[in-house]
Amino acid sequence: MVLVENNQLQVTDSWHSINEETPQITDKSIVSLAYWLENKAELTNHKGKLGLSVMGDDELSQFSNELNSFDLVCINFPTFTDGRGYSLATSIRAAGYKNGLRAVGDILPDQVFYLSRVGFNSFELANTELAEFAITKLKEFSVVSQPASDDRAAIN
Amino acid sequence: MYQYNEFDQTQIDERVAQFREQTDRFLAGALTEEQFRPLRLMNGLYFQTHAPMLRVNIPYGLLSSKQLRMLAHISRKYDKDYAHFTTRQNIQYNWPELAQVPDILADLATVQMHAIQSSGNCIRNITSDPLAGIQADEVEDPRPYCEIIRQWSTLHPEFSYLPRKFKFAVSGSPKDRAATEVHDIGIHMVRNSAGELGFEVLVGGGLGRTPMIGQVINSFVDEKDILSYVEAILRVYNRFGRRDNKYKARIKILVKATGLAAFKEQVETEWHTIKNGPLKLSQERIDRVKNLFIKQPYLVEKEPCLNSLPLEQALETNEQFKAWFKQNTLAHKQANYRIVYLSLKSPNRPPGDITDQQMDTVADLADELNAGEIRTTHDQNLIFADIHQNDLYYLWQKLQEIDLATANIGTLTDMICCPGLDFCSLANASSIDISQNITQRFKDSTTELGDIRLKMSGCMNGCGHHSIGEIGILGVDKKGEQWYQFTLGGSDSEASKLGQRLGPAIAKENVTKTVEDILDIYTENKQNSETFAETCHRIGIDSFKERVYGSR
Repeated sequence: MVLVENNQLQVTDSWHSINEETPQITDKSIVSLAYWLENKAELTNHKGKLGLSVMGDDELSQFSNELNSFDLVCINFPTFTDGRGYSLATSIRAAGYKNGLRAVGDILPDQVFYLSRVGFNSFELANTELAEFAITKLKEFSVVSQPASDDRAAIN
Repeated sequence: MYQYNEFDQTQIDERVAQFREQTDRFLAGALTEEQFRPLRLMNGLYFQTHAPMLRVNIPYGLLSSKQLRMLAHISRKYDKDYAHFTTRQNIQYNWPELAQVPDILADLATVQMHAIQSSGNCIRNITSDPLAGIQADEVEDPRPYCEIIRQWSTLHPEFSYLPRKFKFAVSGSPKDRAATEVHDIGIHMVRNSAGELGFEVLVGGGLGRTPMIGQVINSFVDEKDILSYVEAILRVYNRFGRRDNKYKARIKILVKATGLAAFKEQVETEWHTIKNGPLKLSQERIDRVKNLFIKQPYLVEKEPCLNSLPLEQALETNEQFKAWFKQNTLAHKQANYRIVYLSLKSPNRPPGDITDQQMDTVADLADELNAGEIRTTHDQNLIFADIHQNDLYYLWQKLQEIDLATANIGTLTDMICCPGLDFCSLANASSIDISQNITQRFKDSTTELGDIRLKMSGCMNGCGHHSIGEIGILGVDKKGEQWYQFTLGGSDSEASKLGQRLGPAIAKENVTKTVEDILDIYTENKQNSETFAETCHRIGIDSFKERVYGSR
């Protein structure tokens, strides 16, 4: 996986996920929603930066109160046609969350323009070629015709 | 006509470039068919039985003569000299080459036309009343609001990967001429007791394999809040609509499973968080869009044009003209004007089809007599909305020359029909040949039989709206053979109603005979000036069953 963040290719990803193989919490750890719900007290006291990994159909109300304690929220797309994450991202931004929002899973370069409009600022692509291509796709449209999380002015 | 601006032009030009690049990548093998599929569908491109099918949007059914000439040009240059109008006011090409589709889109863009979201699991073309703005019964012209919804929905970043397709229809009249009750969202313009303009919003209607009538989710949404209200509905649907089974993925299934009251609560909870945000419409914005619909000045007095006759004289002297006037024209809210239907249901062509030459001539006539405007209807016909009565005789002659003056609007042979098995890869049975057999059998008696809505689909996806036909015919496959399921008593006017199943499916060779039996029962039982629907409602479906199945 290759990361595009804030319109640029990121050679290395400084975040790492907590799972069975790497259970050790570091200063930039991503935890699953289930893990976080189970270890909330302990994780809230942890000094390092914390990322939360959710699915498009997870309920925002499960973590909306603590949204701003995260430095990164990752939304997983099980298939590129599953649009639930677009609405979850919109709701997360509407709730006032300002930190990193990352699209992970099955993502096409053709989708990064819309993803960026609903509030994502980073994307995981399958390889460097696709990641570089995705960057060109971020500027695919110079005009938009509805308000979204990116605050671009709708012209009409 | 609505006047598109530079902004619209930039947007569709950029969309053409995007689709060209996607098509190139697919043809070069850099996108798989699975990846390309939703991308091409969002641009109206299906892979059909013989060739791709390209569906081009006609927002709320409004076309300029310049646009229609371009549609004719495209049919000549890239297709087989004809095109097909759909039940959602759009137009389809059945024979384009995939590699040429980007060029077709580039040509369309020169007249501000496109195929954006004409298919796919996204918000489709916004349809409306084909008689908007010209009928006295109207609360308000719905088209500026259709345009506002069109702009909001175009390339919507959040709602382009919905569980399933999503269709809007907007009507400004208490008479529903846009089948709003069988749309995912149906919108009726209303005034409250204080005289303020707003919208009654219906949700969860739809045809297809589980036909349902939409339910009122809110009886009055202020005109300034309509975008936030529909956005809230879409957000709830996008989050909770089923994605595990495409046959259960439409919003109607979600509304039914959740229950209307609980669904409304979800929607309105979301709505209240966004209601006063950037989606709120300002009066200035509404007025600006309204002003872009340039209205034609009406003339009280007008001399008949060359080769025409004053209306009264023409009616007295020409019986054929009189029959056409009676069947294919309607009263206009403006005195001395008539609304004229151009029938695309001639016995010589499949329903809804139009040739390049017909399109060119219609465009010329529109320029000459109708301020360059053409409307499409969900019954697959065309309308000239503003014809001075003294031009009617001339127009009728011209329409006769191009076979668009069949006097059958609203009658049996003005049937709705999908392309069926001949073109569509979803279809189970043919529909065009069936429609042609019925037309041949009844073309001479169609006006005598009066208003009858026959609607036919080649499969249960229901593009031909069979479920709401007064006579509905659905093509089904039985062990590799084509059979036809009849329903009676459906309706799409005022209150929509689903038809009742007549009985077991009918073999292909007996379809026309069955229509005959049904109509015999009608004529035998008809009282005074009862229409087919009225008689059918009064005597019930059993009287028809006996005749149709008793004889077999």
